[in-house]
Amino acid sequence: MQTGLIQNAHDDLVTDAAYDFYGLHLATCSLDQRIKVWKLDESTGEWISKDAWKAHDATVSKLSWAHPEFGSILASSSFDRTVKIWEQTYSEPESQANGARSQNTSRWIERAVLVDAKGTVRSVEFSPHHFGLKLATISSDNFLRVYECLEQPVLTTWQLTEEIDILSLPSVQGPLSNAIALTTPTQTFTSLENTPPLPAHSLQSQQSLTRLGSGPHREADGGWCLSWCKERYWGEILAASVGTTGTVHIIQLLPSRRPLILLTLDPYPSPTTTSFDEAGNGLSQTRYAITSISWAPSCGRSTHLIATGSRDGHVKIWRVKRPDGSGEESNEGKWFGRVAADFDDHK
Amino acid sequence: MAVHLDLLPPFISRGGGEDFVKARHNLLLSVSPRDNSIGVFAGTVRSSHYAVNGVAPTQGKVRDILFASADKMPSAERRLFITDTSVIFAAFQNLISVTNEKGSEALFNVENLRLMNKLVNDYVNFAKECWVHASQAVARPDGLQYTADHYRSIYTCTSLFQTLYLPDPDVEHAPVGDELMEWLNTHFIEPSTEEGDVLSRLESAWEGEGFWEYLTRTALRGLTKATVFFLKLLSSSHPSSYLQSLSDSLIPILEDQPHLQQFKTEREFTLAHHRWKNQVKALRVELHHVPEDEETRFDGWDNWWDRLSDIVAVLEGREDVLMRVVQDLGGGWKEVCAAWGVFVDPRLRRQELPEVVERVIDVIPYDPTDLEDIIHAQLLTGEVAKALVSAEKLDVWLSCHLADVMNALGLLQEAEEGEEVVDGTGTTLRQHHVLQYAEYLHSDPALWRITVDYMCACGEIGTYRADEVLLRVPLGFSSYSQPTGSDPGGKKTTVNDDRIADTEDEASRIRAGDIVGVLKEVNQCCFEHGREGVRRMVCRIAGKALMSEKQYGLAISYYTSAEDWPGLGRVIDQVLNEYITQGPAKFTSLVAEIAPSLQTLRSAADSSDYPMHGIFLHRLMFIVKYAEFHQRKISNDLIEAAADLMSMFEGDIAPTSWWGVLLQDSVEFLNHPGGMLFTSANIGLLLRKMEEVQTRTSQGSGEDYLSVLVKIIRSSGGKGIGGEKEALNKLKMVRLALAKYFARCGVIGVGGKDSLNAVTRNSNVYAS
Repeated sequence: MQTGLIQNAHDDLVTDAAYDFYGLHLATCSLDQRIKVWKLDESTGEWISKDAWKAHDATVSKLSWAHPEFGSILASSSFDRTVKIWEQTYSEPESQANGARSQNTSRWIERAVLVDAKGTVRSVEFSPHHFGLKLATISSDNFLRVYECLEQPVLTTWQLTEEIDILSLPSVQGPLSNAIALTTPTQTFTSLENTPPLPAHSLQSQQSLTRLGSGPHREADGGWCLSWCKERYWGEILAASVGTTGTVHIIQLLPSRRPLILLTLDPYPSPTTTSFDEAGNGLSQTRYAITSISWAPSCGRSTHLIATGSRDGHVKIWRVKRPDGSGEESNEGKWFGRVAADFDDHK
Repeated sequence: MAVHLDLLPPFISRGGGEDFVKARHNLLLSVSPRDNSIGVFAGTVRSSHYAVNGVAPTQGKVRDILFASADKMPSAERRLFITDTSVIFAAFQNLISVTNEKGSEALFNVENLRLMNKLVNDYVNFAKECWVHASQAVARPDGLQYTADHYRSIYTCTSLFQTLYLPDPDVEHAPVGDELMEWLNTHFIEPSTEEGDVLSRLESAWEGEGFWEYLTRTALRGLTKATVFFLKLLSSSHPSSYLQSLSDSLIPILEDQPHLQQFKTEREFTLAHHRWKNQVKALRVELHHVPEDEETRFDGWDNWWDRLSDIVAVLEGREDVLMRVVQDLGGGWKEVCAAWGVFVDPRLRRQELPEVVERVIDVIPYDPTDLEDIIHAQLLTGEVAKALVSAEKLDVWLSCHLADVMNALGLLQEAEEGEEVVDGTGTTLRQHHVLQYAEYLHSDPALWRITVDYMCACGEIGTYRADEVLLRVPLGFSSYSQPTGSDPGGKKTTVNDDRIADTEDEASRIRAGDIVGVLKEVNQCCFEHGREGVRRMVCRIAGKALMSEKQYGLAISYYTSAEDWPGLGRVIDQVLNEYITQGPAKFTSLVAEIAPSLQTLRSAADSSDYPMHGIFLHRLMFIVKYAEFHQRKISNDLIEAAADLMSMFEGDIAPTSWWGVLLQDSVEFLNHPGGMLFTSANIGLLLRKMEEVQTRTSQGSGEDYLSVLVKIIRSSGGKGIGGEKEALNKLKMVRLALAKYFARCGVIGVGGKDSLNAVTRNSNVYAS
């Protein structure tokens, strides 16, 4: 049943809405370059706008709340190629004559701007809190970047601890029967070198939109998204969608070593050449980018579940097992992933 | 299972789907951790808001965010049902865990089964009460969330489950017929009392509409009194002497029908039933003696002979007639099954029921559109796992509580052998159904305690899920928090003034440092379920939030409760930072606020209640002492203040980064015209500290010794002022004051000769 409505949340399309830890606040961002924070009035069920500010110089693509043990912190990624860290601060509460405190007023302050991306930043997500105050970003330059806050609670210094080209990352194991570890895509990807300056770049992607399914350079056809593994004991692992390849890499971050691809989830199991020629060409299979990933909390299960949403309208649930996990499938010391469910209800 | 839900206003107008796609729009959602509700909004894969494909920039509805929830938040009557039955659920879990400790055999001993029977009986009774309550014609401003009929369905299902699977241990292995008939008569009353009343008011009842149907049904259902009443009427008043005589013969047969509970052993019952059957046979013979002509067997209204013959055939236990009669009466398969156990096979056992039921529903199928009917059929045919799936569709409450009991009785083993876990989720059937219910409960954040209880009853997976719920219970101390609309106990749904006052009172008590209200309950809940890690995390988060709001006293209480000493250290640093930015007056008032908790901590640390790290204890002692010093200074108690200052150096509790500040503080005391506040030994110590600061600074460690002093100079002097040089200049003033003080000592002779000599030596070396 419908429980609420925010009318005209922004001046343009809403690009992301993220609930805070308690679900009592909702942060939204938009093409209008602004971030808004809404608070739920629990007695009426209405969402009340608490803060709103212009956050970036282009579309704000994604928001992420840090774990509350670090405070009230938001990260935002944007098409202006930056990621910003915001902290909610309170003005001094004033004591009143009856001893009760007046309501604090809060304000969101920009604490840091991370400017390493050479393409539009598509996604940002704080790591599970037990790994510290870290965040991962992914941008259309096909780089996955991981930052760590060096000085809490100041939040101004963020070290780029990993900068991973997700297309040329070594794999921990050979190709699996149902998973191609690394295919060499035939099309040109947006990369560091050939990314045009932002305005032209935007125009170009606009033009490419008009020719959906054709042309070599289509930033808008790619999918750059990520999701952290919530489980502590597997180490720092995250899933990242690989641009236009339509695959998802499960990447392990290792202290003092290069990150490794543990597994690649490939929804197109038969070896095919990646091609974006008009669909229906019998020899090639069109690959659709994964635009959305969500790694479920394991809650003590022996296997992990990852949901992916693809541009072809399919939602897939993948079951991923780590080596030596017991179960009906033998995984012979390798990471193993298979599609557990496939939904095509979305037209 | 895909569920369809329309949200308003629509993002896409009728036929506008193509434009929506052309504009590169897509739909996105976000799931709330508060209550599993979702926020839905239209997003885009576009990189900017220019027109695409001639489709104009977005207008209107696509900028909305819609919110939806899979479950309706329980209303008042529903909540009462949920909270009341949760108590039974808890008792059942307790019983099972106690029994498990005794070993698996203890589970099925008579005493245990009786206890389980009693608890399931409680479920049945609550369902009944809720049905009765919902049936009452009273004004309900909000209406009912579930109809009375819904609770009636739950009542019939739980009651049937109890009859079949968890009867009184004494009758468990006995024939089930009478019990099943009793269940049917309790829940599906036929014929109605009104029908009987109408017929009994007629002079010639047999001329009334539905007379024979009424008589057949009462005979079939074992409603002997009603049957006998009308048979007596027939025997005394009916024009046919044959029927009069037959009715006379039938009366004692019905009255003497043996029932299991009248006998001590089943053998006696069987023998009695055998004898009774012979009486029925005799009646059949008598019936055949009635001449086969229309005049005799027809009374002008009905063919009484055929009707009576049907009744006798039912008593004889003839299957074909039973099925036909029930169908003619408009009865269902359940009525046949119950009558089967009474007349066709009076020794019918529970385990033989599935076979009979299947035979019956082959002829009279159940209603595939009626969930209640489906569940009844599945329970009777022993398809327990399927019954749970159907029950889940009817109400997750039912599937949860049935699955819990079924599992305890070992009924789900077989279903789980084929499919060990549900959908590979790692959960058993029982856990799956209980967790589904817990998820439903989560739709109301105020029911978090019950949600957690149910989740924690589901092994490791459930406990982890409960952790996430527990962690997200808002503690309500935030200055932004408002009283919630629903009472945590689950009984009130409206906000009233009392509640707001209560909440405010609670909030102020929390501010005063008490661990009360929600936090206390979360603590308690964590303790009950052994979730210490969760409790500490809850306190840590609270500590951090309070620290951001500058409520340092509370932050310290929470960090202490979390035993998070680095966190506590950060609070202390933050308070010291307030001295730097706000000055001594603000600092002393802040420390006065946190002093009580510091005292407690210090004494706790002394008695080693908390294995607190020494460094944090030192910082604590420093902050208290330093605040004391300023307090005395402000109130002009200079002698004591000076003693405080020295004790910070003597006790070695002042961090090196604060030495410069303390030395700077000493100037005022050294220059005090009113009297000598330091002994010469004090002066010696101050000089030594001074020497260390200067030497180390010249060696490049100025950051360690002067950082705080530098910050203070900067914060008081504005931007551009300050730096190590400035700080060192300040220290020169200290040295000058020390030298002057020493000179005064020489004149007045404070401190005695020895110490003076020592000071002299030092001053020779350092005085510039």
